[in-house]
Amino acid sequence: MFLNSWSLGLTLAGLIILVLGVFACRTAIRVLRHWNPSSDTNLQITLENEIWLASTLVAYGLGFQILTLVLFVLAADTFCQVIVGAMCATGALLANNFGMPALLVKIAGVFLYGFWIVLHKLDISSETYPLVKIKYIYLLLILPLLFADITLQTLYIAFLSPDIITSCCAVVFGSSAETGRNLIVGFSQTGLLFLYYGSIIVLAAVGIILLKRWLLPLAVVFSAGWLWFLGVATVAIISVFSSYIYAMPYHNCPFCILKPEYHYIGFALYFTLIPAAFFGLSTALVEPFKNRVDLAGQVTKYQRTAIKISLIFLLLLAAISSYHYLLYKISGGES
Amino acid sequence: MAMIPKGLEKQLNTLDFALSSLWRRKLKNLGIMMVFSLVIFLLGSFQMLTGALTSSADAVLENTPEITIQKMSAGRQEAIPQTYIKKLNSIYGIRAIIPRVWGYYFDESTLANFTVLALDHNAMPNGSKLNLTLSDGHFPKKTETGTAVLGGSVQDILELGDRRVFSLFRPDLSLKSFQVVGIFSKQTDLLTNDLIVMNVDDARDLFAIPTSHVTDLCVYVANPTEIETIAKKIAGLLPDTRVLTKSQIQKTYQVVFSWRSGFASICLLTALVAFAILAWDKASGLSPEEKREIGILKILGWETGDILAVRFWESTLVSALAFIIGCTAAYIHVAFFDASLLKPVMVGWSVIHPPFKLLPTVTLADLLLIFTFSVLPYLGATVIPAWRCSTVPPDSAIR
Repeated sequence: MFLNSWSLGLTLAGLIILVLGVFACRTAIRVLRHWNPSSDTNLQITLENEIWLASTLVAYGLGFQILTLVLFVLAADTFCQVIVGAMCATGALLANNFGMPALLVKIAGVFLYGFWIVLHKLDISSETYPLVKIKYIYLLLILPLLFADITLQTLYIAFLSPDIITSCCAVVFGSSAETGRNLIVGFSQTGLLFLYYGSIIVLAAVGIILLKRWLLPLAVVFSAGWLWFLGVATVAIISVFSSYIYAMPYHNCPFCILKPEYHYIGFALYFTLIPAAFFGLSTALVEPFKNRVDLAGQVTKYQRTAIKISLIFLLLLAAISSYHYLLYKISGGES
Repeated sequence: MAMIPKGLEKQLNTLDFALSSLWRRKLKNLGIMMVFSLVIFLLGSFQMLTGALTSSADAVLENTPEITIQKMSAGRQEAIPQTYIKKLNSIYGIRAIIPRVWGYYFDESTLANFTVLALDHNAMPNGSKLNLTLSDGHFPKKTETGTAVLGGSVQDILELGDRRVFSLFRPDLSLKSFQVVGIFSKQTDLLTNDLIVMNVDDARDLFAIPTSHVTDLCVYVANPTEIETIAKKIAGLLPDTRVLTKSQIQKTYQVVFSWRSGFASICLLTALVAFAILAWDKASGLSPEEKREIGILKILGWETGDILAVRFWESTLVSALAFIIGCTAAYIHVAFFDASLLKPVMVGWSVIHPPFKLLPTVTLADLLLIFTFSVLPYLGATVIPAWRCSTVPPDSAIR
């Protein structure tokens, strides 16, 4: 189903990101082959200019990737109107085997490109560019993911078959079993809520301790905790909070909350959860770079900022996600 | 300014510089912006028109029967015998089956196309409420032969004025006269503008359809979750028919509209590519003054990153402004001018269509899509030229 403005928009955006990525990787290869900070040849000066290009391209790529992530979900939401048995974006994404992987790869992409930019910022904060090699090897490793992203997306769109009236008979004899609901099953609500709020409290406590006193094992726990919390929060949003937002006990959809009917609250949830998890995760991930020449100060500074940002977003997330839940518990229904 | 964090203050100053730099080259930037706005206007008009048409189709389909049965013969639709209704008696869950006669009547003297519709409105669920759609009069009763209800423009085209009697030709060119017993109110113009509603017997007489035959059968189903099952059963009992469900028709409309807008988008992609090339070209062709300016900035201590930031803000400002102008123009085009430039592409190819108002429903999703189609290629096209000019070596620039 390519002849549709959403498919075209997604493909266009995917191609643009790919072109930006390929250009950045060209620089990466040149830097890896010829980088020599002690020389002052023309080539080295060109390369020093080119790393600006690479970083700008990746930064644009990250921005565009976040946009396509949103666009992808919204597109799935419009596709569902023409697909049999799909009630919302979940159904449309499950319509073939490529929808969910494409979505997951896109989300992973946001984290990986974001982490590259963190590396880059650390790198350019020092005059000797100590991370240049690592940074560009990493960039080259991202490239396959970019290809995987656009391939999965293209396959997903290509294998979507809209359901239209054909000349012989319009009755669908296939099953129109509902696919919208049970993305995640088998979690007890109370247990999940306990885990969710428990994790929030533990993460906040660990974060505050880390801000007071830096302990490496605790930092590792903090980042690992964020990875865990990303999962828990996603499950909690899908199987507990979404019902309260929809005010329907059996409607558990991670995507419908992005709709205007629910005041776009989903964007607020995901755009606090994802950055919070990103900064939380990166706290421990940048730790190895402390050993590099004159990076220790910068890394420590970044870690402190990252912890602060992740805690602020965590607080926002807790507030936003609890709003409908508390509203229901206190007023006993929608106001 | 003490309260503003340092990083933000730097960005604000860069933004300020970008604004003044845009202003200094107003002619060039204005040109780019106008062309960009035009591209966005076209893309946006299509997107908003699709949305508006989809929602008006939804509104129309809301009150259609859940299932429509048409008899097919050699791949074409033909009149369906009323005896088919009896065959469906065994299916539980059907609330009512209404035989319907309808068709198009071409009036040769006025060159107008009317839609003629005939059904027994008393048998319909909510049928009694139909009289509310009339500005005066009532629907033709089953016993009143030779009566009709007219839509607003039918009355105008037939130049009836205060007269209550008009005639239509049968296929053999003999005249059949009707008495007007009601006029549709203005609120329902979208659906009833070209409509003539009459008795089933009169319509058969007018179109010379054999008695005991009708155009199609409308099936009303009480429980919406049973629609699919009932449709399947009907298709099994009446193998020579086409069974259309409401959701099927809705989906088909949506696919048709999205297909057409996708097709239009492909056509517009060429314009977009042309524009991206223009943007690339404008961004890479550095005048000697611009080169000098960058050289001076670099000597003053600006880094490559700072100049890139200025360029980024310039692109963002130009595209944001063009986006706002283009989308606003598109909205005005669709809402106030009924998308007169593009409607023929989207709405059938029939010349006689009732004039109806479009109400564009713009969602965040639509805007994001337009943004992806226009601003992303622009930013992508300007990023490499921007880098190229920000790496001009200072000594060569001011020499």
